[in-house]
Amino acid sequence: MAAPENRKAELKITGMHCATCAVNIEESLSKIKDVEKAQVNFGTDTAHVEFDPKNVSIHDLEKAVKEAGYDVVNHEVTISVGGMMCATCVETIEAALNELPGIITAMVNLGTEKAYVTYNPSLSSTGDMKKAIEDAGYQYLGISGEVSEEAEKKAREADLHEKFVRFIVGFAVSIPLMIAMYLPLPISMHTLAYVMLVIGTPVFVYVAAPIFRAAWVSLSHRTLSMDVMYAMGTGVSFVASVMGTFGIILTHEFMFYDTAIMLAAFLMLGRYLEARAKGRTSEAIKKLAGLRVKVATVIRNGSEQEMPVEEVVTGDLVIVKPGAKVPVDGTVVEGESYVNEAMITGEPVPPLKSKGSHVVGGTLNTNSVITVRAEKIGKDTVLAQIIRLVEDAQGSKPPVQRIADIAVTYFIPAVLLVAAATFVVWYFILHATALFALTALISILVVACPCALGLATPTAVTVGVGRGAELGILIRNGEALEVGEKVTTVIFDKTGTLTRGTPEVTDVLPVGIPPQTLLALAAAVEKNSQHPLGAAMVKAAQKGSVTIEPATHFDTFAGKGVAATVIDETVLVGNRVFLLDNSIIIPSELEDKITAIEQEGKTGVLVAAGGRMAGIIAIADTLKPTTKEAIDRLRDMGIRVAMITGDNRRTAEAIARQVGIETVISEVLPQDKEEEVKALQAKGEVVAFVGDGINDAPALAQADVGIAIGSGTDVAIESGDIVLIRDDLLDAVAAIQISRKVMRRIKGNIFWAFAYNAALIPVAAGVLYPSFGITFRPELAALAMAASSVTVVSLSLLLKRYIPDAKKGR
Amino acid sequence: MAIDPICKMTVDEKTAKFTSEYKGKKYYFCAPGCKKKFDGDPAKYA
Repeated sequence: MAAPENRKAELKITGMHCATCAVNIEESLSKIKDVEKAQVNFGTDTAHVEFDPKNVSIHDLEKAVKEAGYDVVNHEVTISVGGMMCATCVETIEAALNELPGIITAMVNLGTEKAYVTYNPSLSSTGDMKKAIEDAGYQYLGISGEVSEEAEKKAREADLHEKFVRFIVGFAVSIPLMIAMYLPLPISMHTLAYVMLVIGTPVFVYVAAPIFRAAWVSLSHRTLSMDVMYAMGTGVSFVASVMGTFGIILTHEFMFYDTAIMLAAFLMLGRYLEARAKGRTSEAIKKLAGLRVKVATVIRNGSEQEMPVEEVVTGDLVIVKPGAKVPVDGTVVEGESYVNEAMITGEPVPPLKSKGSHVVGGTLNTNSVITVRAEKIGKDTVLAQIIRLVEDAQGSKPPVQRIADIAVTYFIPAVLLVAAATFVVWYFILHATALFALTALISILVVACPCALGLATPTAVTVGVGRGAELGILIRNGEALEVGEKVTTVIFDKTGTLTRGTPEVTDVLPVGIPPQTLLALAAAVEKNSQHPLGAAMVKAAQKGSVTIEPATHFDTFAGKGVAATVIDETVLVGNRVFLLDNSIIIPSELEDKITAIEQEGKTGVLVAAGGRMAGIIAIADTLKPTTKEAIDRLRDMGIRVAMITGDNRRTAEAIARQVGIETVISEVLPQDKEEEVKALQAKGEVVAFVGDGINDAPALAQADVGIAIGSGTDVAIESGDIVLIRDDLLDAVAAIQISRKVMRRIKGNIFWAFAYNAALIPVAAGVLYPSFGITFRPELAALAMAASSVTVVSLSLLLKRYIPDAKKGR
Repeated sequence: MAIDPICKMTVDEKTAKFTSEYKGKKYYFCAPGCKKKFDGDPAKYA
C-alpha cells in the first residue's frame, strides 16, 4: 500500500525503441530517493511514477529520464494574464505557478501580458494555474495558445518522418552499392573500394547516427542496451570494410559497405514500422479523450456565455443544445431530451432525461435543449475518471512481464558472449575464413534483438484494456488481467447484483374479490408508508393502472404492518401476527399458500379489509434478466459459482435454485462477507467477487479480483479491480473472457519473441552451415528482427476486434 | 503621487487599489505582486 501522501505522475517519453530502454529509464527513476514506484511502458511510451512530493519534484523525474538518454514530452500553454504592472508582478506570478506540482517552467512576459507554461498534465491542470494566478491577485484571461495533445502528435510524426527518411536514404544508396559489387565493372576491386568508401561513409554516418548516439548514451551509463549490439554489428562491418580498403590486416574481400548501410537501413525500417504500429495501440484512449468537451454555454449574470469548460464551476447552470455534448456531470434542472450515452455505457437506446435526471459529460444531447446544473467538473467527472483509470491500466504491467524484463537484462551480455564465442570457434578452432567468422558475428549481433520481447506485454495490455473500455468493462491494471485469467470461483453478492435489488410484486392472491381491488386496497394504505415492500405494492398498482383511493387514519405498527381507512373501511396490511392481533381469522387454505410463497423465497404480505381476510400479496426481489445466462456461462467455463447474502437460508436457497447456484453462503452480515472470501481463498481458490460496491467494498477488496457492477453512468469507479459500467452480469463473464484472451495473447507473444531468437541465433551463428550450407546474411538478420517485432505488435492489434463470447450477437 | 516602494513606479493615491499600512504610514503599490512582497518583509522596504 502506498503512503497516502504519495503522488502519481505520468510522463510521456520519447526516444525509446527497445525493452531495455524501458528498463534503463525505470532504473534511473527508481534510483531517486523517495520514488516509490516507477513503471515504464514501452508500448505506450509512458512512465508512471509514484513519488513523495515533499522530497521529489517533477524536475527530478525529468532529469532522471534525460540522464538515461531519453526525453520527456510536456504540454505547453500560453495564458493571458491581466493586472500586471511591473517586474515584481512577473516574479510573483512565476513563483505562484512554480509552486504547483506539475509545472516544469513558467515564464511570464510583462510586455505581452502572457504566461508561457510547460507542465505535466497528470499533476497540474490549467484550472490549477488559473487558481494560482487569481490567488496571487491577478486576472486569468484565458488560454491564448495551447500545445498539448498536438505536441505529442507532432513529436511522434516528426520522429516517424525522420526514421522514414533515414531508411529510404539507406536503401537508396546500399542497393546500388550491392549491385556494383556483383557487376563486372571496368574498374578494379581496389578502385571500387575507394569509390565505396567515399560514397558510403557519409551515408552510413547519417543512417546509423541514431544507433550510435543511443549506444553511446547507454555505455556512458554503464548499461548495455540493444543499441550497443546494433552499433557493434554495423560498426564492425563498417570498420572491417575500411580496414579492407586500405589493406590493414584484412583484405579486399572485406567489402561490407553495402551491408553496413543496409543493416542500418533495416534497423531504421524496423523502428519505423514498430513506432507506427505502437501509435495505434492506444486508439481507444484517444477515442475516450475525444469525448471531452472544450466549450460550455453557461448562464452567468443572467446571460448565456460561452467559456472554456475549465472555467465552469460546480453549481453553474449549463445549457446543452440539441446535437451538442453535455460538458460536465450534473442534474437536469429544466427541459427534457433523449441523451445518447452509448459512448460511456454502450447502451444503444438513448434514455429520456428530464428534470432531476443525472447526465454525464461526453454524452450527446439528441433532440431538445436542456439546462444542467454542474455537479462534477474537471477530473471528478465520470469520463475523466474512466480515462484516468484506462490510462493507468494501460501503463501497468502484469507480473508476467517481470519475467520478460529480467530475461532482457541477462540477454544482452549473453548474446555478446555467444557472438564472441562464435567468432572464436569458427576462426580459431574450425579455421573458417575470417570473412565467414565475421559475417556470423555480425548476424548474431543483429538478429538477437529482444524488441519483440519488450513489446509482447505492453502492446497486448494496452489494446486489451482499451478494448475492454469500449465494451464498458474497465480493467484497473495489468495484475487484474493476470489474476482474472486464473479465477476459479466467482462469488456473487445477491441483492442488487444477481437481483435487481428492489422488491417487486410477484403474485396477487385475493380472497373473494378481484385481484385489482386487492392491489388497490393495499396500495392505498401503503402509499403513506416508507417501507420498501410498500413501495413495491404501490408501483405494481400504478403499473396495473389501478385507481388508488385516498386513505385516512394512517397508523404504523413497527415490525408488524400498517393500517388505514379506505372508503370507510379499515384496511390492515402486514404479517400474520399483525392480523391475528386484530382478531382476523386466517383460513387454513391461505396458511398453506403462505407457506408455499415463503418456500419460494418470497415474502407474503397479508391484507384484511372490513375485519375480513382480503388476500395475500407475494413480494420478492426479482432476478435481473441476464443473471441465469451469466451463471450458466461461467459454469461452462469451468468456474465455480457461489452466492453470498444476508438473507435467511430459505430465501437465499430459493433464489439460488432459480439460477442454478449450488454454493450458497447465507445469513452473512455485510461486514463478514470479507471473511467468507478469505475462507475460500484459504482453500486455495482464486476468488472473484462481484458486487455493487454498496455494502460489499471490503469483500471486493479482499477478493483476488473485485468486480464492481455499475448502473449506467452512475458507476463507483474506485470500488473494483474491474469495473463494469453496465448493470449486466454478462459483462462480468466477458471481463473474465477478456482477461483470458489478453493473457493468452501475452503468453503467445512472449513465446514468439523467444522463438525468433532461439531459432535464429543458432542459424546466425552458422550451426546449420556444416550440414546444410545455410548461413544468414546480416541484412536478412535485420529483416527477421524487424519481422518479429511487427508480428508481435500485429498480434496484439488483433485484440482490438475481439468480442468476448458472452457478448457475441448482442 | 506616491512611489511604489518595491518597483519605484509612481502610483496615484486616489486610484491605487493595493495599499498597506506599516508603522502608521500608508504605502501604495502598483499591483498585488508588489504589495505581497512588501507585506512579506515591510521593514526592509519601508
